[in-house]
Amino acid sequence: MAWIKVAAQAQLGEEEAMPFTVGDAQLALFHSAGAFHVTDNVCTHQYALLTDGYVEDGCVECPLHQAQFDLRTGQPQCAPATRPIRIYPVKVEGGEIYADI
Amino acid sequence: MPADLPILIVGAGQAGAMAAGALRGHGYAGRILMLGDEAHPAYERPPLSKSVLLDADGAALAPIHAPDQLAAQAIEWRGGCRVQAIDPVARLAHLGHGETIAYSQALIATGGRAREWPQLPIGTPHVHYLRTLDDARALRESLRSQRALVVLGAGFLGLEIASTARALGLDVTVIESAPRVLPRAVPPALSAWLAARAAAAGVALRLDTRVREARADAHGVTLVLDGGEQLQAPLLVVAIGQVPNVTLAASAGARLHAGNGGICIDAHGRTSVPGLFAAGDCASQHRACADAELRLESWQSANEQARLVAAAMLEQAAAPAATPWFWTDQFGLNLQMLGLPADELRYLTRGDEAVDAQAPRFLLLGIDGRDRLRHVIAVNAGAELRPLRPLVDAQVAIDPAAFTDTTAALRQLARDALAAAPAAATPHP
Repeated sequence: MAWIKVAAQAQLGEEEAMPFTVGDAQLALFHSAGAFHVTDNVCTHQYALLTDGYVEDGCVECPLHQAQFDLRTGQPQCAPATRPIRIYPVKVEGGEIYADI
Repeated sequence: MPADLPILIVGAGQAGAMAAGALRGHGYAGRILMLGDEAHPAYERPPLSKSVLLDADGAALAPIHAPDQLAAQAIEWRGGCRVQAIDPVARLAHLGHGETIAYSQALIATGGRAREWPQLPIGTPHVHYLRTLDDARALRESLRSQRALVVLGAGFLGLEIASTARALGLDVTVIESAPRVLPRAVPPALSAWLAARAAAAGVALRLDTRVREARADAHGVTLVLDGGEQLQAPLLVVAIGQVPNVTLAASAGARLHAGNGGICIDAHGRTSVPGLFAAGDCASQHRACADAELRLESWQSANEQARLVAAAMLEQAAAPAATPWFWTDQFGLNLQMLGLPADELRYLTRGDEAVDAQAPRFLLLGIDGRDRLRHVIAVNAGAELRPLRPLVDAQVAIDPAAFTDTTAALRQLARDALAAAPAAATPHP
């Protein structure tokens, strides 16, 4: 694990998402419910990018089949997903967002 | 009724398995016995016509319960098991070979089976039907050994199989007796758009075409079309719809719907027989959005009815069934449909519907004569369906000009429309 600079705080509006990669890993940065969250970007149900989904109230809804994940815990909130997405620690320093990947 | 008797679930498909999980979710601690006629633990059927056909090692299969979950939740599952009869007065289920099971309450989640075409019954060589995992595995083997496929039926299943077969490199012909694809699910304009998309993917679509005669021989099937034309099919899939499995429920005295043939259930999933519930493809329920009793063959409807039944069995409150939602993945498209089509709707297009685009992305907004949003179809735009959901739930009127202006953010348009709606139009979840 290492802290990586992901984006500037000003890059992402409220209830917005941004994909990024570290090596082969597809990751997602979300700004929702007043906080930034970094998670794996691929839905655990079927291949789809969660950054293409709908972000609201600290949750993201997969664009493909409406699986919902809590961005704070990674836990699925409804079918069809049964497995959580991985979440990563996030900190904001000097207007920059860092994630511990 | 004795508390130690199990809740019996007949059928281990989407509805049955989801109901079992929902019972535990409500804190029910008694026995749950789930009997399925297939040999496999419950799995999701949507991938059967798509990734399961493509995938050689079976990794695409999506179990409904994780492997350790059945044991962790103490759900007793028995496969390869058929219930012959239910005595709803004595609350006994009769299995074959003389075994009898006493239950406290029972859920009939017997699903449906592929509608058989009498000219080419199930079991005819070179002919496949698709409903179960075993069906999908058999079809997968055939798709690997053949170069051409004919599909009878241009519904969701037929088109998805055609799409998968094209991805595998087969020549594909689809024959449909109706003048358009998906005639019951989408408006004519989208049928035409999808047909063009399928044609661009290399599918030979034969619409408005009836098969007069079919002969199977050692090399495949010969179809004689209405006009006399003959079509050779080394491999044929019949995908002409589904028939609900209602014999068990009917023999237990449950009322069936005269129109759709499903088992009539109330808003909580109760059949007309005390202690007997039904859910999923076999069940017919009044749907407020269409103001009609409907038997919806869908993943979401099975989940919703399972949720309602679990709550009702335990006498707990539950939010009413959600607005119907369907999806299909075909020809590089993810189509999501919220609400139901109706003749009186007209459709607005939001976005660009170029047929040949790599990844077209648009919405069709179905509004009625009072501009109320009743049906939304999202093409590669599932995330945009989400802000519209409360509008469809409450049938809120929208401004056609504003909603077709793609420079305006949909989320804000939806908020504004909801705020402007009369107070009576409160969305239900």
